[in-house]
Amino acid sequence: MKESYVDLVRIRRQVFAKVAKLAYDGADLSELEKASFEILPGEVATYRDSIFRERAIVDERLRLTLGLNARKPTEHHRVTDGINDVDVDKIQFIEPLINVITFACEACPTKQFYVTDNCRKCLAHPCTNVCPTNAVSIGRKRAIIDLDKCIKCGRCKDTCPYSAIVQYDRPCAAACGVNAIESDYLGRAEINMDRCVSCGNCIIQCPYGAISDKSQIYQLIKALKSNDHMYAIVAPSFLGQFGPLASPVQIFEGIKQLGFEDAIEVSLGADITTLREANEFLERVPNEIPYMGTSCCNSWTIMVEKLFPDQFEYISDSSSPMVETAKYIKKNDPDAKIAFIGPCISKKLEALREDVKDYVHFVITFEELMGMFVAKGIELSEIEVSEKIQDASSLGRGYAIAGGVAEAVKQVALSMDPSKEINVEGASTLHECVKLMRVAKSGKRNGYLLEGMACSGGCIAGPGTLASLNRVRKAVIDFKNQADIKSPLENKIIDENLS
Amino acid sequence: MKVKVCVGSNCTLLGAMSILDQIDDLKIIISEDSDNYNDEELEVEAIRCLGFCKNTDEKVAPIVVIDGETMYNATSQTVMEKIVNKIRK
Ligand code: SF4
Ligand code: FES
Repeated sequence: MKESYVDLVRIRRQVFAKVAKLAYDGADLSELEKASFEILPGEVATYRDSIFRERAIVDERLRLTLGLNARKPTEHHRVTDGINDVDVDKIQFIEPLINVITFACEACPTKQFYVTDNCRKCLAHPCTNVCPTNAVSIGRKRAIIDLDKCIKCGRCKDTCPYSAIVQYDRPCAAACGVNAIESDYLGRAEINMDRCVSCGNCIIQCPYGAISDKSQIYQLIKALKSNDHMYAIVAPSFLGQFGPLASPVQIFEGIKQLGFEDAIEVSLGADITTLREANEFLERVPNEIPYMGTSCCNSWTIMVEKLFPDQFEYISDSSSPMVETAKYIKKNDPDAKIAFIGPCISKKLEALREDVKDYVHFVITFEELMGMFVAKGIELSEIEVSEKIQDASSLGRGYAIAGGVAEAVKQVALSMDPSKEINVEGASTLHECVKLMRVAKSGKRNGYLLEGMACSGGCIAGPGTLASLNRVRKAVIDFKNQADIKSPLENKIIDENLS
Repeated sequence: MKVKVCVGSNCTLLGAMSILDQIDDLKIIISEDSDNYNDEELEVEAIRCLGFCKNTDEKVAPIVVIDGETMYNATSQTVMEKIVNKIRK
């Protein structure tokens, strides 16, 4: 969550800790009625016009965190309605994953250009002179933009010597790389599910915290309490997420103390994905397919599927590191139930896919995991540990940072066939991903390996992270350098014949 | 001046790392405008849970301790203001 949104971050995470606590305590879910009061006690509003509205919104967050749908404000519902459906220890995601809490949304105006007090109605008034639709005129107090005529080209804003014209957009819509944010009849944000790729960017950018995903922590904890074949697979961006004093091994130990049999690096699966994608690239490009896109970012692949369906077959067939890691565990323990822990919201959706759902049973974020540590009273930095984690190569661990996937695939492909020329291009926001696909579709990236990531900077900036990009980047690079092996080709854990 | 930021579980959940990041930024602001600040060194340390959060039902996290003085429910703005007030000439 965007760190400077301190109040929102706090409320959101208190809800995670609360739901985790209810689950660990085995509390009756009627307790839920009280939870929003415990999080926001008293009668004085802090964040909005009324404390009752604040608590109603927290109720909605509690429901979503339990995996329930948000309630319709037009119908009468108790906060506990539907609870029997989720009070179980199996996967239970009721789509949609991304939800607007309608009465938390302040219906921000949609994109427009707006003249501020800075305007001096200057003699030159270049704003009127550059407007291609003659939409700007000089009013009594300042320049006026005729919104019916305005085509939002921004030329008036660029030319004003006083920075008097600003561009205004709703943060959720500006954050969305696929234009999925529309408006309902009251002007509130509404997500067009035909376009949404569940990247989670609107969730972290909305300054009112009006958009939220669903969580599985409740069901996960119930499963942890009753099943001893639970495994955690931890995404390569976990470094540095849980405070500067928690070492990588302490984090893994802490995860085991939550009730997991074992914790494994997803970078191991990244090594397997790298080997597969390198083979695939050498075999298929350019004879079968003109270029190849990487497959590990779920939002990127869904974006291609939804917006560029005729190009979808050029995205690698290899499974994502999450799935490869889960398959590896399943091979050793067929009864395994596997929870992916990562920075990513989109993985929650990937886990619902027909070909994935038997391998990955739960997906939670680092933020949600932190809520579980707090609920269980675990202090990571105080855990005694000895050995090191060595599941993966340095290249596998680099998947977390934008550019890391293509780099790994390229290096391995080159060691397999040094004569091959491999061009690489990457995009690491959803906006950029869409642009890159337009160029690729026009045939201008033939022969390329294209790396798409929906989060700016890669997985280290995912919506479910706790630490800032710089912190995590540094920690990931340190951990990369601590890997005993450099390349997936040297990874002894991977024994099967991959070709 | 000694600033201790608790990075125990509760405090980390509720934003301790963002406080640390903001103090790092503040160091840059101070170094770029050093004439207006004392040369006293700003020593920042991330520390383990002090037990404050465990011995009470009240909400206290995040905790920051500046020169022995404990700040409960610390936010980056209150922490930075305190630091700046102490070392600004
Ligand atoms: S930014 Fe938030 S409050 Fe504003 S329109 Fe979007 S969802 Fe609503
Ligand atoms: S975690 Fe900071 S005082 Fe306990």
